[in-house]
Amino acid sequence: MTDKTTRDRPLASLNRRRLIQGGATFAAAGLTGFPFINRMAVRAQEAPLKFWQFYAPGGDVKPQVQWFEKLVADWNDGHDQKVELEYVVNSEYISGSKLATAFASGEGPDIFLISPGDFLRYYNGGVLADLTPHIEDAAKADFPESVIANRMVDGKIYGVPMEVEPMAFYYSVKAFEDAKLNENDVPKTWDELLAVAKKLTTPSRYGVLFETTPGYYQNFTWYPFLWQGGGEFQGKDGKSAFDSPATVQALKLWQDAINTGVAPRQVVGGGFDIVANLGAGLCAMQNCGIWGISAMDNNAKDVPYGIFKLPTPANGKYVTVGGGWAFVANAGGKNPDASAQFCAWALASMDQASIDRVVNWCTVAKSDMPPRNSALKAGADVFSTGKFGTFAKEIHPGTRAEPRVPPEAYKIISDAIQSAQLGGVDAQQAATTASQQLDAFLASYSGAPIL
Amino acid sequence: MDQMKPPAAGANSARGLTAKQRERCAAWLFVLPDALGLLVFVGVPMLLSLVVGFFEVNGFGGYRFVGFGNYRRMWGDPLFWSSVKVTVAYAVMLVPALYVAGLGLALLVQKTNRFNAVMRSMFFAPQMVSLVVVALVWQLMLVEKVGIVSRLAPLVGLGGISLLGDPNLALFTLVLVSVWFLMGFYMLIFLGGLQDIPAEYYEAAKIDGAGPVTSFWYITLPLLKPTSFFVLLVSLVAAVAGGQVFDLIYVMTKGGPVNSTSVLIIYIYKQAFQFGAFGYASAMASLLVLALMLVTVFFFVLTRGGRFEHD
Repeated sequence: MTDKTTRDRPLASLNRRRLIQGGATFAAAGLTGFPFINRMAVRAQEAPLKFWQFYAPGGDVKPQVQWFEKLVADWNDGHDQKVELEYVVNSEYISGSKLATAFASGEGPDIFLISPGDFLRYYNGGVLADLTPHIEDAAKADFPESVIANRMVDGKIYGVPMEVEPMAFYYSVKAFEDAKLNENDVPKTWDELLAVAKKLTTPSRYGVLFETTPGYYQNFTWYPFLWQGGGEFQGKDGKSAFDSPATVQALKLWQDAINTGVAPRQVVGGGFDIVANLGAGLCAMQNCGIWGISAMDNNAKDVPYGIFKLPTPANGKYVTVGGGWAFVANAGGKNPDASAQFCAWALASMDQASIDRVVNWCTVAKSDMPPRNSALKAGADVFSTGKFGTFAKEIHPGTRAEPRVPPEAYKIISDAIQSAQLGGVDAQQAATTASQQLDAFLASYSGAPIL
Repeated sequence: MDQMKPPAAGANSARGLTAKQRERCAAWLFVLPDALGLLVFVGVPMLLSLVVGFFEVNGFGGYRFVGFGNYRRMWGDPLFWSSVKVTVAYAVMLVPALYVAGLGLALLVQKTNRFNAVMRSMFFAPQMVSLVVVALVWQLMLVEKVGIVSRLAPLVGLGGISLLGDPNLALFTLVLVSVWFLMGFYMLIFLGGLQDIPAEYYEAAKIDGAGPVTSFWYITLPLLKPTSFFVLLVSLVAAVAGGQVFDLIYVMTKGGPVNSTSVLIIYIYKQAFQFGAFGYASAMASLLVLALMLVTVFFFVLTRGGRFEHD
């Protein structure tokens, strides 16, 4: 009877006495193991440095995964302090909560990636390690001023850029042909841009696409239009310079594109996604960065496209903006010195392997302009022909670094863009309101200079 | 064998507990895991959030006590007030719409037959899909010129509009998507309430000459008061602070265009995780919790603790 009961109900044999015995054994094992907990601090020093990024090992672009894995394998082969890749999904990394909560709880990664838009937040928070002692002078000189300046404070380098991503326009060759246009008709001025966009607009397609989703990326894509007319958001006196004719005309350009019906109010995915918009036929011309080359070549192979540099306003000067991510080291991490050394070794050494690594990242893993003169030279074959050649010769020479702005200032500028572009607010009114808010903010701002 | 014999009813156990006491003890034990979970994962963080709301937090371990500074900052923050207005507008549109849609669907499919079984499953189906997927699919369907909804809109005289890109329409569009997503859930709750109403009441009313509308007004609605109370309260909390409102808005509009869909929890999220203002975000979150508590208390007072005449 007992056997049958036990077999039918496996827990029937678990009486109170056995439960107490089991609990006592478990507690004893826990107490016995306690000394090992004390050794965790010792082990932490030997633990590999955590490198958070959104490419590997879980990323879906094989060459990028391979690039990161090789980078870490090469480092680990020759150094006692090992590095370990930790993949954070893109949406969670860029605008998500993972990095912010990690630092807020004192558990930030040892090495991570940041864009210029986030630089001040992390620098002012005191978590960026100075990389300068690990970068030789020749390597420092190898980075053009326009690329490295927004990663520097007081002459010290706090981030090593891995790429430069200038903005341009992409156009659908078929849409141009359908509208009886050809490559000679690509717009060179803002007026031409709107006129050509009108010709390209059909009941099922928009002529031109600007980013419409509020965020850092929208601000990033709008800056060159501000700069082309000589506008700035901060003057040399440190006060707001946002209330200017240049700002108003830049806001008005995007507003006119919406009001005349040649640009959409909503984009698919995001304005950075060229395949989902230009590739899918939503628009005929799209404002997008250099990454669009690999995106189109890999995911929209049957869509012929061309590239042209940003048109300029009347009496304006050609400028584009160059974004891009940078390696940074956590000053409060497990081993900040080794983390800083890793960043410098990876991307800012005069060693040929370091230069080749940059070339490889910008030409094989991604389609970007290299942040170093030596890499531009080493990859001359790639950067002198085809669409890369267009970027290298026509678009990139006018690149200005993405400005680093504190989150509060970003939001003020973002609201101005949104209210003019989609809210129908008068461009002058939007510029004036934002300028007053910027002045109030700048008066109370204390931190590294805004560039 | 003797050990397996149950004690006689009402008899004291070895510890001297009566059957009633043991039953009460068992009830507490059943409740305990959930109560502990709520305490650890909701109660304690809520308390910590309240405390953090009195500090300026830089997001990198720096804390500075500012007293009610974060609350004063709210008072002068136009974006805070704008997000409060958007939240109220969203809730005012969503709660009645969910009530009507949920009850309407429940009335439509309340009779038990195969067709209704299929329809119930279909109405509930959106709940089975990840909200992020739902948001992405709706976003694609609503894209101007190419989305299916945008292509069909001209047929009903709504051509040339941007349902997600126009600040005057975006919030309303999000309410419609929210209703579509949530109505199946509330339909189930109302179905449960409808099945509790004795059929004899309807039969008696029919004999007295009452039509379907009269029966609905004088039998169904009054006897659904407890269900209605639950639905209104839960949908209100969901509209103000529910996961569905955050996910849907974050994926579909990111609070735009022109902050027209920036509800309070989106603004709190941005302040905390994009601007690193954890103290300010915590203060806003605490105020939101307080407001929801007050509304809940108001509901309970109004309904005398959720008790209704026929209970």
